[in-house]
Amino acid sequence: MITKYTSDIFEVLRKGQFICYNSPKDNIQTLYKILENEDTFEELYEYFYKINYILEEGDEYFYFSRSKEKNNDLERKLEKAFGWIDILDFFKTYDSSFDVGFRFTPSEIDSQLKNNADLKTKLENLKKIGSDKKNYLDRIKKIIEKLERDNYISLENEISETYKVLTSFNYLKDLINTINIPEEIANEIPE
Amino acid sequence: MKTFNNIKELLSTLNREEKLLSEMFTKRKSLNYKLSYAIEMVDSNEDRINLLLQLSVIRENGGFLEIDDQFLEFFEQILDVNEEINLSYINENIKSIKENINYYFNENNENKKYTYLKFIKKTFRKMGIITLRSVVDVRRNIENTFKNESNYKNKQLKLEHLDEKRAIVKDLITQTLALINNEELTFFKTATDEELNRIIKELKYSLSECTHNLIEIEKQIIDYLNQIKHQGKFIEKLRKLKYLKDQFRIESETDLKQILSQKNQVIFQKRVSEPINLSIDYLRDDEIAFSIIKKVAKRNLDKLNYTPLIAENISDEYLENSIEKEVMINLEEIRNKFVATSDNLFNFIINYDFSKKVSFNERVTIFCQMASQFEFEFSFEDESQTENGIEYALVYPK
Repeated sequence: MITKYTSDIFEVLRKGQFICYNSPKDNIQTLYKILENEDTFEELYEYFYKINYILEEGDEYFYFSRSKEKNNDLERKLEKAFGWIDILDFFKTYDSSFDVGFRFTPSEIDSQLKNNADLKTKLENLKKIGSDKKNYLDRIKKIIEKLERDNYISLENEISETYKVLTSFNYLKDLINTINIPEEIANEIPE
Repeated sequence: MKTFNNIKELLSTLNREEKLLSEMFTKRKSLNYKLSYAIEMVDSNEDRINLLLQLSVIRENGGFLEIDDQFLEFFEQILDVNEEINLSYINENIKSIKENINYYFNENNENKKYTYLKFIKKTFRKMGIITLRSVVDVRRNIENTFKNESNYKNKQLKLEHLDEKRAIVKDLITQTLALINNEELTFFKTATDEELNRIIKELKYSLSECTHNLIEIEKQIIDYLNQIKHQGKFIEKLRKLKYLKDQFRIESETDLKQILSQKNQVIFQKRVSEPINLSIDYLRDDEIAFSIIKKVAKRNLDKLNYTPLIAENISDEYLENSIEKEVMINLEEIRNKFVATSDNLFNFIINYDFSKKVSFNERVTIFCQMASQFEFEFSFEDESQTENGIEYALVYPK
Protein backbone atom coordinates (compact mmCIF):
# COMPACT_ATOMS: atom_id res chain seq x y z
CA MET A 1 0.00 0.00 0.00
CA ILE A 2 1.74 3.15 -1.20
CA THR A 3 -0.82 5.70 -0.11
CA LYS A 4 -4.09 5.18 1.63
CA TYR A 5 -5.78 6.16 -1.61
CA THR A 6 -4.21 3.46 -3.75
CA SER A 7 -7.32 1.33 -3.79
CA ASP A 8 -9.55 4.35 -4.50
CA ILE A 9 -7.37 5.31 -7.44
CA PHE A 10 -7.45 1.77 -8.72
CA GLU A 11 -11.22 1.54 -8.39
CA VAL A 12 -11.78 4.71 -10.42
CA LEU A 13 -9.24 4.11 -13.15
CA ARG A 14 -10.03 0.44 -13.58
CA LYS A 15 -13.50 1.34 -14.78
CA GLY A 16 -11.92 3.24 -17.65
CA GLN A 17 -12.60 6.55 -15.97
CA PHE A 18 -10.29 9.51 -15.76
CA ILE A 19 -9.03 11.39 -12.74
CA CYS A 20 -9.40 14.97 -13.84
CA TYR A 21 -7.95 18.18 -12.49
CA ASN A 22 -11.25 20.06 -12.80
CA SER A 23 -13.63 17.38 -11.63
CA PRO A 24 -16.44 18.82 -9.51
CA LYS A 25 -16.26 15.77 -7.27
CA ASP A 26 -14.21 16.22 -4.15
CA ASN A 27 -12.94 12.67 -3.95
CA ILE A 28 -11.59 12.84 -7.52
CA GLN A 29 -9.90 16.14 -6.70
CA THR A 30 -8.19 14.51 -3.75
CA LEU A 31 -6.99 11.64 -5.92
CA TYR A 32 -5.70 14.05 -8.53
CA LYS A 33 -3.64 15.82 -5.90
CA ILE A 34 -2.14 12.51 -4.81
CA LEU A 35 -1.21 11.57 -8.36
CA GLU A 36 0.15 15.02 -9.06
CA ASN A 37 3.07 14.34 -6.78
CA GLU A 38 5.77 12.99 -9.07
CA ASP A 39 7.26 10.57 -6.58
CA THR A 40 3.92 9.08 -5.68
CA PHE A 41 3.10 8.81 -9.36
CA GLU A 42 6.30 6.88 -10.04
CA GLU A 43 5.66 4.54 -7.17
CA LEU A 44 2.06 3.95 -8.18
CA TYR A 45 3.15 3.42 -11.77
CA GLU A 46 5.46 0.63 -10.67
CA TYR A 47 2.81 -0.79 -8.39
CA PHE A 48 0.07 -0.95 -11.00
CA TYR A 49 2.51 -2.06 -13.69
CA LYS A 50 2.95 -5.33 -11.83
CA ILE A 51 -0.71 -6.10 -12.21
CA ASN A 52 -0.75 -5.19 -15.89
CA TYR A 53 -2.24 -1.74 -15.60
CA ILE A 54 -0.25 1.16 -16.94
CA LEU A 55 -0.86 4.42 -15.12
CA GLU A 56 -0.65 7.26 -17.62
CA GLU A 57 -0.66 11.01 -17.36
CA GLY A 58 -2.34 13.25 -19.90
CA ASP A 59 -2.94 16.97 -20.08
CA GLU A 60 -4.35 17.48 -16.57
CA TYR A 61 -5.79 14.00 -16.27
CA PHE A 62 -4.73 10.46 -15.38
CA TYR A 63 -5.92 7.18 -16.81
CA PHE A 64 -5.13 3.50 -17.12
CA SER A 65 -4.10 1.64 -20.19
CA ARG A 66 -3.21 -1.98 -20.56
CA SER A 67 -0.34 -3.81 -22.10
CA LYS A 68 -0.91 -4.66 -25.69
CA GLU A 69 -2.08 -8.23 -25.71
CA LYS A 70 -4.75 -7.56 -23.12
CA ASN A 71 -6.81 -5.22 -25.22
CA ASN A 72 -7.01 -5.80 -28.90
CA ASP A 73 -10.64 -5.81 -29.76
CA LEU A 74 -10.31 -3.38 -32.64
CA GLU A 75 -13.94 -3.50 -33.65
CA ARG A 76 -15.02 -2.39 -30.24
CA LYS A 77 -12.56 0.47 -30.26
CA LEU A 78 -13.75 1.62 -33.66
CA GLU A 79 -17.31 1.57 -32.49
CA LYS A 80 -16.41 3.67 -29.48
CA ALA A 81 -14.44 6.15 -31.55
CA PHE A 82 -17.30 6.47 -34.03
CA GLY A 83 -19.71 7.16 -31.21
CA TRP A 84 -17.44 9.88 -29.89
CA ILE A 85 -17.07 11.51 -33.27
CA ASP A 86 -20.85 11.67 -33.62
CA ILE A 87 -21.41 13.09 -30.17
CA LEU A 88 -18.53 15.51 -30.41
CA ASP A 89 -19.81 16.73 -33.74
CA PHE A 90 -23.20 17.30 -32.14
CA PHE A 91 -21.81 19.34 -29.25
CA LYS A 92 -19.46 21.33 -31.44
CA THR A 93 -22.45 22.22 -33.58
CA TYR A 94 -24.28 23.32 -30.48
CA ASP A 95 -21.42 25.56 -29.43
CA SER A 96 -18.07 25.75 -31.16
CA SER A 97 -16.41 26.68 -27.90
CA PHE A 98 -17.40 23.33 -26.36
CA ASP A 99 -14.12 22.48 -24.70
CA VAL A 100 -12.51 21.88 -21.33
CA GLY A 101 -14.25 23.96 -18.67
CA PHE A 102 -17.35 24.58 -20.81
CA ARG A 103 -20.62 24.52 -18.89
CA PHE A 104 -24.03 23.69 -20.24
CA THR A 105 -27.46 22.38 -19.30
CA PRO A 106 -29.67 19.99 -21.27
CA SER A 107 -32.41 22.59 -21.51
CA GLU A 108 -30.01 25.11 -23.07
CA ILE A 109 -29.28 22.66 -25.84
CA ASP A 110 -32.97 21.94 -26.18
CA SER A 111 -33.77 25.61 -26.65
CA GLN A 112 -31.01 25.86 -29.26
CA LEU A 113 -32.74 23.20 -31.32
CA LYS A 114 -35.43 25.67 -32.32
CA ASN A 115 -32.96 28.11 -33.79
CA ASN A 116 -30.44 25.71 -35.19
CA ALA A 117 -31.75 23.37 -37.84
CA ASP A 118 -28.33 21.82 -38.29
CA LEU A 119 -28.25 20.81 -34.64
CA LYS A 120 -31.72 19.33 -34.89
CA THR A 121 -30.79 17.23 -37.91
CA LYS A 122 -27.73 15.98 -36.11
CA LEU A 123 -29.78 15.04 -33.08
CA GLU A 124 -32.20 13.19 -35.27
CA ASN A 125 -29.36 11.37 -36.97
CA LEU A 126 -28.00 10.16 -33.67
CA LYS A 127 -30.44 7.30 -33.91
CA LYS A 128 -28.55 4.86 -31.82
CA ILE A 129 -28.81 6.93 -28.70
CA GLY A 130 -32.12 7.39 -27.02
CA SER A 131 -34.29 6.71 -30.03
CA ASP A 132 -36.83 5.19 -27.68
CA LYS A 133 -37.38 8.63 -26.21
CA LYS A 134 -39.98 10.76 -27.88
CA ASN A 135 -39.13 14.28 -26.86
CA TYR A 136 -35.89 16.01 -27.73
CA LEU A 137 -34.94 16.94 -24.21
CA ASP A 138 -34.90 13.30 -23.17
CA ARG A 139 -32.79 12.39 -26.17
CA ILE A 140 -30.32 15.13 -25.36
CA LYS A 141 -30.17 13.84 -21.82
CA LYS A 142 -29.38 10.37 -23.16
CA ILE A 143 -26.52 11.73 -25.22
CA ILE A 144 -25.18 13.66 -22.26
CA GLU A 145 -25.49 10.55 -20.16
CA LYS A 146 -23.35 8.65 -22.62
CA LEU A 147 -20.62 11.24 -22.54
CA GLU A 148 -20.85 11.37 -18.78
CA ARG A 149 -20.48 7.61 -18.55
CA ASP A 150 -17.27 7.85 -20.52
CA ASN A 151 -16.23 10.48 -18.00
CA TYR A 152 -15.61 13.41 -20.34
CA ILE A 153 -18.19 15.57 -18.62
CA SER A 154 -19.55 15.63 -15.11
CA LEU A 155 -22.64 16.96 -13.39
CA GLU A 156 -21.58 20.03 -11.51
CA ASN A 157 -24.85 21.32 -10.12
CA GLU A 158 -27.74 18.97 -9.57
CA ILE A 159 -30.35 21.66 -9.07
CA SER A 160 -29.63 23.61 -12.23
CA GLU A 161 -28.50 20.44 -14.06
CA THR A 162 -25.28 22.10 -15.09
CA TYR A 163 -22.64 19.88 -16.66
CA LYS A 164 -18.99 20.71 -16.97
CA VAL A 165 -16.51 19.49 -19.54
CA LEU A 166 -13.59 17.79 -17.80
CA THR A 167 -9.92 17.91 -18.63
CA SER A 168 -10.22 14.35 -19.91
CA PHE A 169 -11.81 15.95 -22.94
CA ASN A 170 -8.24 16.68 -23.99
CA TYR A 171 -7.84 12.97 -24.50
CA LEU A 172 -10.65 12.97 -27.00
CA LYS A 173 -9.21 15.99 -28.75
CA ASP A 174 -5.79 14.41 -28.95
CA LEU A 175 -7.32 11.30 -30.42
CA ILE A 176 -9.08 13.31 -33.11
CA ASN A 177 -5.94 15.30 -33.79
CA THR A 178 -3.77 12.24 -34.23
CA ILE A 179 -5.96 10.82 -36.95
CA ASN A 180 -4.45 11.56 -40.32
CA ILE A 181 -6.54 12.43 -43.29
CA PRO A 182 -4.42 12.14 -46.43
CA GLU A 183 -4.35 15.43 -48.26
CA GLU A 184 -5.95 14.24 -51.46
CA ILE A 185 -8.88 12.88 -49.48
CA ALA A 186 -9.15 16.05 -47.41
CA ASN A 187 -9.34 18.11 -50.56
CA GLU A 188 -12.21 16.03 -51.81
CA ILE A 189 -14.40 16.81 -48.81
CA PRO A 190 -16.78 19.63 -49.62
CA GLU A 191 -16.66 22.76 -47.49
CA MET B 1 -33.32 72.84 -39.69
CA LYS B 2 -33.79 73.90 -36.15
CA THR B 3 -30.68 74.02 -33.97
CA PHE B 4 -29.89 74.82 -30.41
CA ASN B 5 -29.26 78.50 -29.91
CA ASN B 6 -26.94 78.23 -26.97
CA ILE B 7 -25.42 75.71 -24.62
CA LYS B 8 -27.96 76.46 -21.94
CA GLU B 9 -30.79 75.47 -24.24
CA LEU B 10 -28.98 72.28 -25.23
CA LEU B 11 -28.34 71.27 -21.64
CA SER B 12 -31.82 72.03 -20.44
CA THR B 13 -33.34 70.08 -23.34
CA LEU B 14 -31.14 67.08 -22.66
CA ASN B 15 -31.90 67.36 -18.99
CA ARG B 16 -35.64 67.46 -19.62
CA GLU B 17 -35.53 64.27 -21.70
CA GLU B 18 -32.94 62.61 -19.49
CA LYS B 19 -35.15 59.60 -18.82
CA LEU B 20 -35.88 58.86 -22.45
CA LEU B 21 -32.35 59.48 -23.66
CA SER B 22 -30.70 57.36 -21.03
CA GLU B 23 -33.15 54.56 -21.76
CA MET B 24 -32.48 54.81 -25.48
CA PHE B 25 -28.76 54.99 -24.91
CA THR B 26 -28.67 51.77 -22.92
CA LYS B 27 -30.69 50.06 -25.65
CA ARG B 28 -28.69 51.56 -28.51
CA LYS B 29 -27.40 48.17 -29.59
CA SER B 30 -30.80 46.58 -30.08
CA LEU B 31 -31.81 49.22 -32.65
CA ASN B 32 -35.52 48.80 -32.15
CA TYR B 33 -36.70 51.37 -29.72
CA LYS B 34 -40.35 51.78 -30.58
CA LEU B 35 -41.87 55.20 -30.96
CA SER B 36 -44.78 54.10 -28.79
CA TYR B 37 -42.44 53.28 -25.88
CA ALA B 38 -40.79 56.65 -26.26
CA ILE B 39 -44.13 58.45 -26.12
CA GLU B 40 -44.88 56.72 -22.86
CA MET B 41 -41.50 57.76 -21.49
CA VAL B 42 -42.31 61.44 -22.07
CA ASP B 43 -45.69 61.28 -20.33
CA SER B 44 -47.57 60.82 -23.63
CA ASN B 45 -46.59 64.28 -24.80
CA GLU B 46 -45.78 63.81 -28.46
CA ASP B 47 -44.67 67.41 -28.83
CA ARG B 48 -41.63 66.67 -26.73
CA ILE B 49 -40.61 63.89 -29.09
CA ASN B 50 -41.25 66.13 -32.07
CA LEU B 51 -39.02 68.81 -30.61
CA LEU B 52 -36.19 66.31 -30.19
CA LEU B 53 -36.73 65.17 -33.76
CA GLN B 54 -36.61 68.73 -35.04
CA LEU B 55 -33.43 69.39 -33.13
CA SER B 56 -31.93 66.17 -34.60
CA VAL B 57 -31.20 64.72 -31.19
CA ILE B 58 -33.08 61.63 -32.26
CA ARG B 59 -34.14 60.27 -35.61
CA GLU B 60 -37.21 58.37 -36.62
CA ASN B 61 -37.09 55.38 -38.89
CA GLY B 62 -40.23 53.40 -39.64
CA GLY B 63 -41.79 53.58 -36.20
CA PHE B 64 -38.45 53.14 -34.45
CA LEU B 65 -36.33 55.78 -32.81
CA GLU B 66 -32.58 56.12 -32.57
CA ILE B 67 -30.29 58.68 -31.03
CA ASP B 68 -28.64 60.73 -33.73
CA ASP B 69 -25.13 59.58 -34.60
CA GLN B 70 -23.59 62.86 -33.64
CA PHE B 71 -25.05 62.70 -30.15
CA LEU B 72 -24.48 58.99 -29.83
CA GLU B 73 -20.84 59.40 -30.64
CA PHE B 74 -20.58 62.27 -28.20
CA PHE B 75 -22.18 60.28 -25.40
CA GLU B 76 -20.08 57.23 -26.11
CA GLN B 77 -16.87 59.17 -26.14
CA ILE B 78 -17.59 61.06 -22.98
CA LEU B 79 -18.75 57.92 -21.20
CA ASP B 80 -15.78 55.95 -22.52
CA VAL B 81 -17.93 53.22 -24.01
CA ASN B 82 -17.38 53.74 -27.72
CA GLU B 83 -16.98 50.58 -29.68
CA GLU B 84 -15.71 52.13 -32.84
CA ILE B 85 -12.17 53.28 -32.59
CA ASN B 86 -11.72 56.38 -34.61
CA LEU B 87 -8.08 57.01 -35.23
CA SER B 88 -8.50 59.78 -37.72
CA TYR B 89 -8.55 62.22 -34.79
CA ILE B 90 -4.94 61.57 -33.95
CA ASN B 91 -3.89 61.84 -37.53
CA GLU B 92 -5.74 65.12 -37.98
CA ASN B 93 -4.25 66.47 -34.81
CA ILE B 94 -0.72 65.77 -35.97
CA LYS B 95 -1.47 67.55 -39.19
CA SER B 96 -2.98 70.56 -37.52
CA ILE B 97 -0.06 70.83 -35.11
CA LYS B 98 2.33 70.89 -38.03
CA GLU B 99 0.25 73.54 -39.76
CA ASN B 100 0.05 75.66 -36.64
CA ILE B 101 3.78 75.44 -36.07
CA ASN B 102 4.26 76.84 -39.54
CA TYR B 103 1.83 79.64 -38.85
CA TYR B 104 3.63 80.30 -35.61
CA PHE B 105 6.94 80.79 -37.37
CA ASN B 106 5.48 82.91 -40.12
CA GLU B 107 3.58 85.20 -37.80
CA ASN B 108 5.23 88.29 -36.43
CA ASN B 109 2.44 89.56 -34.31
CA GLU B 110 3.12 88.33 -30.76
CA ASN B 111 -0.53 88.26 -29.94
CA LYS B 112 -1.39 86.04 -32.88
CA LYS B 113 1.66 83.91 -32.22
CA TYR B 114 0.33 83.29 -28.76
CA THR B 115 -3.02 82.14 -30.19
CA TYR B 116 -1.25 79.57 -32.36
CA LEU B 117 0.82 78.43 -29.44
CA LYS B 118 -2.30 78.06 -27.36
CA PHE B 119 -3.89 75.94 -30.06
CA ILE B 120 -0.81 73.75 -30.28
CA LYS B 121 -0.82 73.22 -26.55
CA LYS B 122 -4.49 72.35 -26.55
CA THR B 123 -4.00 69.85 -29.36
CA PHE B 124 -1.07 68.17 -27.66
CA ARG B 125 -3.05 67.79 -24.48
CA LYS B 126 -5.95 66.33 -26.41
CA MET B 127 -3.69 63.88 -28.23
CA GLY B 128 -2.45 62.31 -25.05
CA ILE B 129 -5.99 61.66 -23.90
CA ILE B 130 -7.24 60.44 -27.27
CA THR B 131 -4.35 58.04 -27.73
CA LEU B 132 -4.76 56.58 -24.29
CA ARG B 133 -8.47 56.20 -24.81
CA SER B 134 -7.97 54.49 -28.16
CA VAL B 135 -5.60 52.02 -26.56
CA VAL B 136 -8.12 51.25 -23.84
CA ASP B 137 -10.85 50.90 -26.47
CA VAL B 138 -8.78 48.53 -28.56
CA ARG B 139 -8.13 46.40 -25.56
CA ARG B 140 -11.75 46.27 -24.44
CA ASN B 141 -12.97 45.54 -27.94
CA ILE B 142 -10.52 42.72 -28.35
CA GLU B 143 -11.69 41.07 -25.16
CA ASN B 144 -15.33 41.61 -26.02
CA THR B 145 -14.92 40.21 -29.48
CA PHE B 146 -13.05 37.19 -28.29
CA LYS B 147 -15.52 36.39 -25.57
CA ASN B 148 -18.82 37.36 -27.11
CA GLU B 149 -18.64 37.00 -30.86
CA SER B 150 -20.25 33.68 -31.63
CA ASN B 151 -19.55 33.52 -35.33
CA TYR B 152 -16.15 31.99 -35.80
CA LYS B 153 -15.19 33.59 -39.07
CA ASN B 154 -16.36 36.99 -37.92
CA LYS B 155 -14.50 36.61 -34.67
CA GLN B 156 -11.30 35.97 -36.52
CA LEU B 157 -11.89 38.80 -38.99
CA LYS B 158 -12.80 41.25 -36.26
CA LEU B 159 -9.73 40.38 -34.25
CA GLU B 160 -7.52 40.78 -37.30
CA HIS B 161 -9.15 44.09 -37.95
CA LEU B 162 -8.54 45.19 -34.37
CA ASP B 163 -4.96 44.10 -34.76
CA GLU B 164 -4.66 46.45 -37.71
CA LYS B 165 -6.05 49.25 -35.57
CA ARG B 166 -3.50 48.44 -32.94
CA ALA B 167 -0.77 48.76 -35.57
CA ILE B 168 -2.17 52.13 -36.63
CA VAL B 169 -2.17 53.43 -33.06
CA LYS B 170 1.39 52.28 -32.70
CA ASP B 171 2.30 54.03 -35.90
CA LEU B 172 0.62 57.23 -34.78
CA ILE B 173 2.49 57.17 -31.50
CA THR B 174 5.78 56.89 -33.38
CA GLN B 175 4.74 59.75 -35.61
CA THR B 176 3.85 61.95 -32.66
CA LEU B 177 7.12 61.17 -30.93
CA ALA B 178 9.03 61.85 -34.14
CA LEU B 179 7.24 65.16 -34.39
CA ILE B 180 8.30 66.13 -30.90
CA ASN B 181 11.78 64.67 -30.90
CA ASN B 182 13.07 65.17 -34.44
CA GLU B 183 10.95 67.11 -36.86
CA GLU B 184 10.08 70.32 -35.11
CA LEU B 185 13.10 70.77 -32.93
CA THR B 186 13.38 74.45 -33.70
CA PHE B 187 9.88 75.09 -32.51
CA PHE B 188 10.35 73.34 -29.23
CA LYS B 189 13.66 75.12 -28.68
CA THR B 190 12.34 78.56 -29.52
CA ALA B 191 8.87 78.48 -28.13
CA THR B 192 9.97 78.47 -24.56
CA ASP B 193 6.77 78.12 -22.73
CA GLU B 194 6.56 76.60 -19.31
CA GLU B 195 3.15 75.08 -19.91
CA LEU B 196 4.12 73.65 -23.28
CA ASN B 197 7.08 71.87 -21.73
CA ARG B 198 4.88 70.37 -19.08
CA ILE B 199 2.30 69.27 -21.60
CA ILE B 200 4.95 67.68 -23.78
CA LYS B 201 6.36 65.83 -20.81
CA GLU B 202 2.95 64.54 -19.87
CA LEU B 203 2.27 63.56 -23.46
CA LYS B 204 5.52 61.65 -23.68
CA TYR B 205 4.72 59.91 -20.45
CA SER B 206 1.26 58.86 -21.53
CA LEU B 207 2.54 57.80 -24.96
CA SER B 208 5.12 55.55 -23.42
CA GLU B 209 2.42 54.07 -21.24
CA CYS B 210 0.37 53.50 -24.38
CA THR B 211 3.31 51.78 -26.03
CA HIS B 212 3.62 49.39 -23.13
CA ASN B 213 -0.06 48.69 -23.26
CA LEU B 214 0.11 48.06 -26.97
CA ILE B 215 2.84 45.48 -26.55
CA GLU B 216 0.64 43.64 -24.09
CA ILE B 217 -2.33 43.95 -26.44
CA GLU B 218 -0.30 42.56 -29.28
CA LYS B 219 0.60 39.55 -27.18
CA GLN B 220 -3.02 39.07 -26.22
CA ILE B 221 -4.28 39.30 -29.76
CA ILE B 222 -1.72 36.83 -31.03
CA ASP B 223 -2.76 34.46 -28.29
CA TYR B 224 -6.44 34.86 -29.12
CA LEU B 225 -5.86 34.41 -32.82
CA ASN B 226 -3.86 31.29 -32.14
CA GLN B 227 -6.60 29.91 -29.95
CA ILE B 228 -9.15 30.56 -32.65
CA LYS B 229 -6.98 29.02 -35.27
CA HIS B 230 -6.47 26.00 -33.10
CA GLN B 231 -10.17 25.68 -32.33
CA GLY B 232 -11.11 26.29 -35.92
CA LYS B 233 -8.64 23.71 -37.08
CA PHE B 234 -10.03 21.22 -34.62
CA ILE B 235 -13.60 21.80 -35.72
CA GLU B 236 -12.55 21.53 -39.34
CA LYS B 237 -10.84 18.24 -38.64
CA LEU B 238 -13.80 16.93 -36.70
CA ARG B 239 -16.14 17.89 -39.50
CA LYS B 240 -14.01 16.07 -42.02
CA LEU B 241 -13.82 12.97 -39.91
CA LYS B 242 -17.55 13.03 -39.38
CA TYR B 243 -18.03 13.36 -43.12
CA LEU B 244 -15.79 10.41 -43.85
CA LYS B 245 -17.48 8.41 -41.14
CA ASP B 246 -20.92 9.10 -42.53
CA GLN B 247 -19.64 8.03 -45.94
CA PHE B 248 -18.28 4.80 -44.41
CA ARG B 249 -14.85 5.72 -45.69
CA ILE B 250 -13.16 6.59 -42.46
CA GLU B 251 -11.66 3.14 -41.92
CA SER B 252 -10.19 2.86 -45.36
CA GLU B 253 -9.17 6.45 -45.92
CA THR B 254 -7.59 7.36 -42.60
CA ASP B 255 -5.18 5.71 -40.24
CA LEU B 256 -7.86 5.46 -37.55
CA LYS B 257 -7.55 1.69 -37.35
CA GLN B 258 -3.83 1.82 -36.89
CA ILE B 259 -4.10 4.48 -34.23
CA LEU B 260 -6.78 2.67 -32.34
CA SER B 261 -4.93 -0.61 -32.44
CA GLN B 262 -2.12 1.13 -30.63
CA LYS B 263 -4.44 2.54 -28.01
CA ASN B 264 -4.85 0.31 -25.03
CA GLN B 265 -6.74 2.52 -22.67
CA VAL B 266 -9.00 0.81 -20.24
CA ILE B 267 -11.81 3.03 -21.48
CA PHE B 268 -12.00 0.87 -24.58
CA GLN B 269 -12.47 -2.26 -22.59
CA LYS B 270 -15.71 -3.88 -21.82
CA ARG B 271 -16.60 -3.35 -18.24
CA VAL B 272 -16.72 -6.84 -16.87
CA SER B 273 -18.21 -7.65 -13.56
CA GLU B 274 -15.78 -9.74 -11.63
CA PRO B 275 -17.03 -13.17 -10.59
CA ILE B 276 -15.03 -13.39 -7.40
CA ASN B 277 -15.93 -16.17 -5.01
CA LEU B 278 -16.91 -15.32 -1.50
CA SER B 279 -14.64 -16.15 1.35
CA ILE B 280 -15.98 -19.17 3.23
CA ASP B 281 -14.67 -17.89 6.51
CA TYR B 282 -16.50 -14.68 6.00
CA LEU B 283 -19.76 -16.48 5.28
CA ARG B 284 -19.29 -18.63 8.32
CA ASP B 285 -18.32 -16.03 10.88
CA ASP B 286 -19.79 -12.75 9.94
CA GLU B 287 -23.10 -11.58 11.35
CA ILE B 288 -23.88 -9.38 8.39
CA ALA B 289 -23.16 -12.18 5.97
CA PHE B 290 -25.58 -14.35 7.86
CA SER B 291 -28.33 -11.80 7.70
CA ILE B 292 -27.74 -11.39 3.97
CA ILE B 293 -27.91 -15.13 3.48
CA LYS B 294 -31.21 -15.17 5.33
CA LYS B 295 -32.52 -12.40 3.16
CA VAL B 296 -31.53 -14.10 -0.06
CA ALA B 297 -32.82 -17.44 1.13
CA LYS B 298 -36.17 -15.91 1.94
CA ARG B 299 -36.41 -14.52 -1.54
CA ASN B 300 -35.54 -17.87 -3.06
CA LEU B 301 -37.78 -19.87 -0.79
CA ASP B 302 -40.54 -20.63 -3.19
CA LYS B 303 -40.30 -19.62 -6.74
CA LEU B 304 -43.72 -21.08 -7.68
CA ASN B 305 -46.31 -18.47 -7.75
CA TYR B 306 -49.59 -19.80 -6.39
CA THR B 307 -52.66 -17.80 -7.04
CA PRO B 308 -54.55 -18.12 -3.79
CA LEU B 309 -58.22 -19.09 -3.92
CA ILE B 310 -60.26 -16.18 -2.92
CA ALA B 311 -63.70 -16.53 -1.37
CA GLU B 312 -66.50 -14.26 -2.37
CA ASN B 313 -67.13 -11.15 -0.45
CA ILE B 314 -69.04 -11.44 2.74
CA SER B 315 -72.35 -9.72 2.26
CA ASP B 316 -72.81 -6.63 4.32
CA GLU B 317 -75.97 -7.95 5.82
CA TYR B 318 -73.97 -10.44 7.79
CA LEU B 319 -71.83 -7.81 9.23
CA GLU B 320 -74.68 -5.70 10.53
CA ASN B 321 -75.44 -5.75 14.25
CA SER B 322 -79.02 -6.93 14.91
CA ILE B 323 -80.03 -7.47 18.52
CA GLU B 324 -83.25 -9.16 19.72
CA LYS B 325 -84.18 -8.97 23.37
CA GLU B 326 -86.23 -11.52 25.25
CA VAL B 327 -86.93 -11.59 28.89
CA MET B 328 -86.64 -15.09 30.36
CA ILE B 329 -88.08 -16.01 33.69
CA ASN B 330 -85.48 -17.27 36.05
CA LEU B 331 -87.13 -19.54 38.63
CA GLU B 332 -84.12 -19.61 40.88
CA GLU B 333 -84.18 -15.86 41.08
CA ILE B 334 -87.82 -15.88 42.04
CA ARG B 335 -87.17 -18.48 44.68
CA ASN B 336 -84.37 -16.39 46.19
CA LYS B 337 -86.58 -13.38 46.46
CA PHE B 338 -89.50 -15.47 47.74
CA VAL B 339 -87.42 -16.99 50.53
CA ALA B 340 -86.74 -13.51 51.86
CA THR B 341 -90.45 -12.77 52.31
CA SER B 342 -93.17 -14.12 54.58
CA ASP B 343 -95.86 -14.08 51.89
CA ASN B 344 -97.35 -17.25 50.46
CA LEU B 345 -96.02 -18.40 47.11
CA PHE B 346 -99.19 -17.98 45.09
CA ASN B 347 -99.74 -14.45 46.27
CA PHE B 348 -96.03 -13.68 45.73
CA ILE B 349 -96.07 -14.85 42.15
CA ILE B 350 -99.29 -13.05 41.29
CA ASN B 351 -97.80 -9.76 42.52
CA TYR B 352 -94.23 -10.38 41.23
CA ASP B 353 -92.85 -7.87 38.79
CA PHE B 354 -91.42 -9.91 35.93
CA SER B 355 -90.36 -6.82 33.89
CA LYS B 356 -92.66 -8.05 31.15
CA LYS B 357 -96.29 -8.72 30.89
CA VAL B 358 -97.15 -12.13 32.33
CA SER B 359 -100.80 -13.33 32.20
CA PHE B 360 -102.63 -14.90 35.14
CA ASN B 361 -102.50 -18.33 33.54
CA GLU B 362 -98.82 -18.12 33.03
CA ARG B 363 -98.35 -16.99 36.61
CA VAL B 364 -100.29 -20.08 37.72
CA THR B 365 -97.99 -22.21 35.59
CA ILE B 366 -94.97 -20.57 37.21
CA PHE B 367 -96.50 -21.27 40.62
CA CYS B 368 -96.87 -24.96 39.74
CA GLN B 369 -93.30 -25.12 38.35
CA MET B 370 -91.90 -23.47 41.46
CA ALA B 371 -93.90 -25.71 43.79
CA SER B 372 -92.72 -28.86 42.07
CA GLN B 373 -89.12 -27.83 41.44
CA PHE B 374 -88.38 -26.53 44.95
CA GLU B 375 -90.74 -28.93 46.77
CA PHE B 376 -88.21 -29.63 49.51
CA GLU B 377 -87.33 -26.04 50.13
CA PHE B 378 -90.87 -24.87 50.82
CA SER B 379 -93.41 -25.92 53.43
CA PHE B 380 -96.84 -26.77 52.18
CA GLU B 381 -99.76 -25.89 54.53
CA ASP B 382 -102.83 -28.09 54.65
CA GLU B 383 -105.12 -25.16 54.08
CA SER B 384 -105.94 -23.96 50.64
CA GLN B 385 -107.40 -20.78 49.19
CA THR B 386 -109.32 -19.96 46.09
CA GLU B 387 -108.71 -17.17 43.63
CA ASN B 388 -110.20 -16.64 40.15
CA GLY B 389 -111.78 -20.07 40.42
CA ILE B 390 -108.46 -21.72 41.13
CA GLU B 391 -107.87 -23.50 44.36
CA TYR B 392 -104.29 -23.38 45.52
CA ALA B 393 -102.29 -24.59 48.42
CA LEU B 394 -100.64 -22.06 50.69
CA VAL B 395 -96.91 -22.44 50.36
CA TYR B 396 -94.41 -20.65 52.58
CA PRO B 397 -90.65 -20.57 52.66
CA LYS B 398 -89.20 -22.98 55.18
